[in-house]
Amino acid sequence: MIKKTVTGNQAVARGALAAGIRVVTGYPGTPSTGCLTHLLSLDLLDRHVEWSANEKVAFEIAAGAAWAGQRSLVTMKMSGVNVAFDALISIAYSGTNGGLVIYVADDPGVTAGMAEQDSRAFARMADLPMLEPADPAEAYQLIQTAFELSETVGTPVFLRLTTATALTHAPVEIDDPVPPAERDVILEKDIGRYTKAGSVICRRQHEELINRLGRAEMWIHEHGLNRLDLSASSGGLGIVACGAAAPYLPEALGISGLSAEDVSVLRVTSTVPFPRREVERLLGACSTVLVLEELEPFIERDLIVLAREVGFDGRVVGKLDGTLPRIGEYTLPIILKGLETASSRPLAHESSSAIDEADAGGVSPAPRPITICAGCPHRGTYLAIDAAIDAAGLDRDNVMVTGDIGCTILGMNPPFDLLWNEVSMGSSLGIAQGYVHAGSKMPVIATIGDSTFFHGGMPGLVNAIQHRVPLTLVILDNGWTAMTGMQINPGTDESQQPGSRRVDLEDVVRGLGPDRVTVVDPYDLEATTAAIAACLKEPSGVGVVISRRECAIQASRRRVDYGTVTVNAEACILCKQCLRITGCPALSLPPAADGLGEPPQGGPPGPRSIVIDPDLCNGCGLCVSFCPTGALAKEAA
Amino acid sequence: MSCDLVLVGVGGQGVLTIADLMIRCAFAADVPATYCPTKGMAQRGGFVKAEVRLGREGVGPRIAEGAADLVIAMERSEALKGLPLLRPEGTLVLYDHVWAPTGVMLGADAYPKREQVLDEIDRAGGRLLLLDPSDLPSVDGQAVRPNIYVLGAAVGRTPLGEVLAVEAMAATIEARWPKAASANLAAFQAGVRE
Repeated sequence: MIKKTVTGNQAVARGALAAGIRVVTGYPGTPSTGCLTHLLSLDLLDRHVEWSANEKVAFEIAAGAAWAGQRSLVTMKMSGVNVAFDALISIAYSGTNGGLVIYVADDPGVTAGMAEQDSRAFARMADLPMLEPADPAEAYQLIQTAFELSETVGTPVFLRLTTATALTHAPVEIDDPVPPAERDVILEKDIGRYTKAGSVICRRQHEELINRLGRAEMWIHEHGLNRLDLSASSGGLGIVACGAAAPYLPEALGISGLSAEDVSVLRVTSTVPFPRREVERLLGACSTVLVLEELEPFIERDLIVLAREVGFDGRVVGKLDGTLPRIGEYTLPIILKGLETASSRPLAHESSSAIDEADAGGVSPAPRPITICAGCPHRGTYLAIDAAIDAAGLDRDNVMVTGDIGCTILGMNPPFDLLWNEVSMGSSLGIAQGYVHAGSKMPVIATIGDSTFFHGGMPGLVNAIQHRVPLTLVILDNGWTAMTGMQINPGTDESQQPGSRRVDLEDVVRGLGPDRVTVVDPYDLEATTAAIAACLKEPSGVGVVISRRECAIQASRRRVDYGTVTVNAEACILCKQCLRITGCPALSLPPAADGLGEPPQGGPPGPRSIVIDPDLCNGCGLCVSFCPTGALAKEAA
Repeated sequence: MSCDLVLVGVGGQGVLTIADLMIRCAFAADVPATYCPTKGMAQRGGFVKAEVRLGREGVGPRIAEGAADLVIAMERSEALKGLPLLRPEGTLVLYDHVWAPTGVMLGADAYPKREQVLDEIDRAGGRLLLLDPSDLPSVDGQAVRPNIYVLGAAVGRTPLGEVLAVEAMAATIEARWPKAASANLAAFQAGVRE
């Protein structure tokens, strides 16, 4: 055993290794990505670890391995559960043989985009146990507990972390990895269990599912996963604390001036099944109960139902009485607010008033919208779409350009302001078809990245081709799942995914048979513009433009050299066209006295031209064509 | 001894590297520590924040508004995002670097002047340690790494030094970059000394 500083994600990975996992699958998604990334960074023998094409496939692989008797883990962000759920609920009804754990990371506060959803609802709907650690050390323990529970009861088990727990680095005692147990592969042919063949089978599976959850409740109770700490004095305040909100409670009690001895606390680590026995004892000992849980009032609702059953006539403070928010992360001030309301007295601290005054300052920070990197090939594609709309004689404000998930969505931001919407993996295609059928007289353009296309874009394209929908699809193929921190996908160059086989996106698209397919290099603005314009001018069928060039970050890590762009200071008139049009972070104005980049008025003569940061510029050369005086020049490598 | 601190800056400035060194140093010194990064979706050039809680056992990783003992800002405008977290009488280390977003360079957005930021820090009741990028020292003709220099200033010249000692941090830096120890130690010591 060794003590190490690890993130919550790494703690899940290490705990799974200590539990002897054999198969790990997942699809990248912040804040969950670090778990599988960590496993891939270790030299693991006798285990299979992979980034799968999407979360549903990932789940099915893990479930198949678990049916065959092995311990398996599947990882995803909350949006991934939406994708995997079709298979997930079916497997829930069948149960599992080997341990099967679904690790999902929710994102209250939405630091990484998408709907601020609470995945506990999925565990509830599927009647699957869900465990929720409050910090990395607990995550390390609970993932192991989850495997034990899964195999004991024969049920898949969810492990849910939220952003703060998944990303926080903290010291954890870590055991050595345990090699996967030598288990015979279970090859059991039993349609009563492994299919949904008929109503008798399905109703029996439903009954078994409910029974499994009951057994899980008993197991969790017997193992004391939900820790109840009753105060010696009865009739006081009781607190139920769950997940990432829990660690703030001792600190908040310290600040509040409430005596910790007068407060009863139930630390809930199993959201599903509801810890009925422990909550009943808490209700019996308290007159007021405060429920602390991020996002939706799951525990709170169940608690209120139980309170009615057992005739509890005290107060329940939480979200449903309006005290606490259903939005965002829970941190110290929110816990303090809960304590203040539940204890019905103003507390000795000052922070709640300080929060209201925090924004009263007179000067604001400069807006810093997220943008694409220097040299990003998507820049060329966005500029080409814009130019193609113009070249086709169309009006930019009347051409619907649908967006998709990943780096490609940054085309919604300045200076491009190109994309109109963002829904879910692959939705750019379906949404675009909807606009066509609604009677949009202008051509519709769908945009999507390579990983997103493999993940969920293909059915949408098949549908558009089958129904002869006139639209243009631009696939921004940079060869990587980039936004989540550079993971491989089916189209990644084979040299970058040893042992795997590259699936050529162009072959896939041609195989589906759209009316037109063109492959272009987005660093070649003219050709890319022409290819997109050709589709727009002839909107009779599905035209696909594959705009292909490797992600600039990945190319530069491999020391691919595209040359440099230089500035002729004599010729530069500081018209800022290059900056305005490309928004490239490698370009800046000359430094000046106030540090703001405006050339000094009558000051000492300094550089009076655009400055290119040689460390950032990768030589894509896109800025060169927008310089009206020829001051920018591309120099070959 | 404890210190709750928040680092703010722009992706690419090495903000998270500072937090990582603090965590390593704390771990080696057996000081309880958590570190929670927020970097949104930006690869580079976006807002970056790191919350570090040193010397406290069993606490959540986030730091509430008005509760940070120390805010370290690596960029002028971003300092205004760190400031609301600072407690009264807390210290704000401002490395007054300007990384103007494109909107500012195009004249579409305003960017705060140094005096405005200093006024805001003053109004919030914060103690200021101002580091001017033009004072960044050079070693062997090369400017030192600003983030390691700022770390030196924070450890050497703010109450953070009571939790993480200068010598311990120097040893952490040496262990982190065995091959580039001298350049990084020079940057660190320059920050400690000034």
